[in-house]
Amino acid sequence: MHQIYYIESNQLETLFQKLKKSYKVFSPVAKGPNYTAKADYSYKGLAEGESPVFNPYRAVEPLKSFFTYAQDQAAEYFNRDEPVLDSMQVIVFGVKSCDIAGHKVQDFVFLEGVEVDSLYRLRRDNTILISGDCTDFKDVCHCLAWDILPHPTEGFDLNFSPLNDGYLVEVGSKKGEGLIQQYQEYFTPAKETQIAGRRVKRENLIERLKRHLLPQKLVSKDSVQRLMREGYNLDTWQQFMLTCVECGGCNLICNTCHCFLLADKKEGNINKKVKVWDSCQYANFTRVAGGANPLKTRTQRLRNRFLKKFDFFVDNLGMPACCGCGRCIEVCPGKIDIREVLKDVAKKLSASK
Amino acid sequence: MKNIYRPIEAVLEDIITESPTIKTFVLRPKEPFEFRTGQFIELTLPGVGEAPFTPSSDPNLKDKIDVTIMNVGEVTALLHSSAKNISLGIRGPYGKGYPLDKFEGKDILIVGGGVGLAPLRSLLFSLFADIDKYNKVVLRYGARTANDIIYKEAIPHWAKKKKVDLVTTVDMGSPEWKGNVGLVTTILKDLPLDLKKAICVVCGPPIMMKFVTLKLLDLGFNPKDIYLSMEKNMSCGLGKCGHCRIGSYYICKDGPVFTYEQLKDLYDIWD
Repeated sequence: MHQIYYIESNQLETLFQKLKKSYKVFSPVAKGPNYTAKADYSYKGLAEGESPVFNPYRAVEPLKSFFTYAQDQAAEYFNRDEPVLDSMQVIVFGVKSCDIAGHKVQDFVFLEGVEVDSLYRLRRDNTILISGDCTDFKDVCHCLAWDILPHPTEGFDLNFSPLNDGYLVEVGSKKGEGLIQQYQEYFTPAKETQIAGRRVKRENLIERLKRHLLPQKLVSKDSVQRLMREGYNLDTWQQFMLTCVECGGCNLICNTCHCFLLADKKEGNINKKVKVWDSCQYANFTRVAGGANPLKTRTQRLRNRFLKKFDFFVDNLGMPACCGCGRCIEVCPGKIDIREVLKDVAKKLSASK
Repeated sequence: MKNIYRPIEAVLEDIITESPTIKTFVLRPKEPFEFRTGQFIELTLPGVGEAPFTPSSDPNLKDKIDVTIMNVGEVTALLHSSAKNISLGIRGPYGKGYPLDKFEGKDILIVGGGVGLAPLRSLLFSLFADIDKYNKVVLRYGARTANDIIYKEAIPHWAKKKKVDLVTTVDMGSPEWKGNVGLVTTILKDLPLDLKKAICVVCGPPIMMKFVTLKLLDLGFNPKDIYLSMEKNMSCGLGKCGHCRIGSYYICKDGPVFTYEQLKDLYDIWD
């Protein structure tokens, strides 16, 4: 059991004003002028005097956007005076469980394997993740379908659970423990009754989310790799791609999609390598010099997206690369719904047996 | 910590014309750079772009690297029109290359198509350097026309080496061509091999590798003993950028050489 503390809301205000002196603090804020109960939340770097907002569900932006930028400088070359890697100390407040779970994919890609991406490593080391329990969900949310709870159990530095006029603060890492030690005057050890209160609130939300998801009859995490392998030749892929406009939004907004284009450019006399988020839904994603392209059609590309998520990553990381955040569903102008695609494969496979 | 995306500088020391569309670029890296046969590099034309190539030179030569390149796209066209002594960038080497330890004591059939002979030249240099470790080397090479054959001067020398059996063919004959005419599969008959202890290495265009593989299976080769170079669309070289996924592999880090056993159950591998 991690250590759990309590902090009152007004103390949190004061604490964050102090933290902002040493860190760039990002927090979700409600988007749009008219706040509604189902508003979208978007990360913002907090200015002097501004306080973090406790968001009831995940922000619009995926967590990956703090570690790999949509456009990034990867390297300068043939330049003796290349600037030393630098990354600011960052606190991201309001991260949700789906993003924490999905971020395992980003860590696997950029920190493990053959070699480490040093810029990602630096940003990861310099970032403190302060997550929060979900207290509500969006229509597209389906974390439970992937066995991800709406509150994180690992992978955070500190986790906040709102309770009465304050928050229970669970320590998830040495970084988090360090923050608590540094600012211990703001925290008191949590009481059993408070922890019991958190448990009730969590259970209530899980029950509500289950009632939302049960009628959807989503496919199970354990079946998904089989669906991909056996459903390769189904007409699901043709049917669902009919409305795809190849915008790449599903990939770019996805917290687990990591593909990037490595390109060269010259600025003045400096040669640069740049990394730009890429999308396997773009027609040229796999095109090579000479024109060959294994993913020529939108049908092949839609299937590729699913195979990567639900076959490749199950084999290579032991988990599907979907955290149920539903961002790809919200962003798609063609209304392609990842849940419906999987259900269609499952339905057609069971009908053919 | 090392920046995995930064190339090292190499001087383009020489350019050798191999065919109307293929040139060999001789690079002298400014920092130590070694590779094993079958591994590939990312070659950067500064400020313009980067593309993957498998060196064609002898891996035992530590101070220079040959890369044999067909003019097919933007980067390769600019490389083909480049002059000597410019600086190019090199990243790598990447991938696993040919598992030479598994070739020891075997009859080695090497089947190349077109510019696919380039990675095989580096393999041949590695085999020739330790030829006593191998039983024999049977090389079958096909090009579109006699003009398209690369390493024209070297091939007759290779043919005379001990333990080497070499036959070339062209898809389309011409009056000056006195050798075989027909696809490379037509010279895979009556091979001087002991199939029980033979392996085969194939490199060429996907369609060629497909039909050669089918032929090899017909001949009785075990899928475990057929090594295919699945080089396409590698970019970062380290399994991060996501472009070269094939089934549950990345070509860049799990290949680019795969056995047919690894690939046979995957869909659309020849596309």
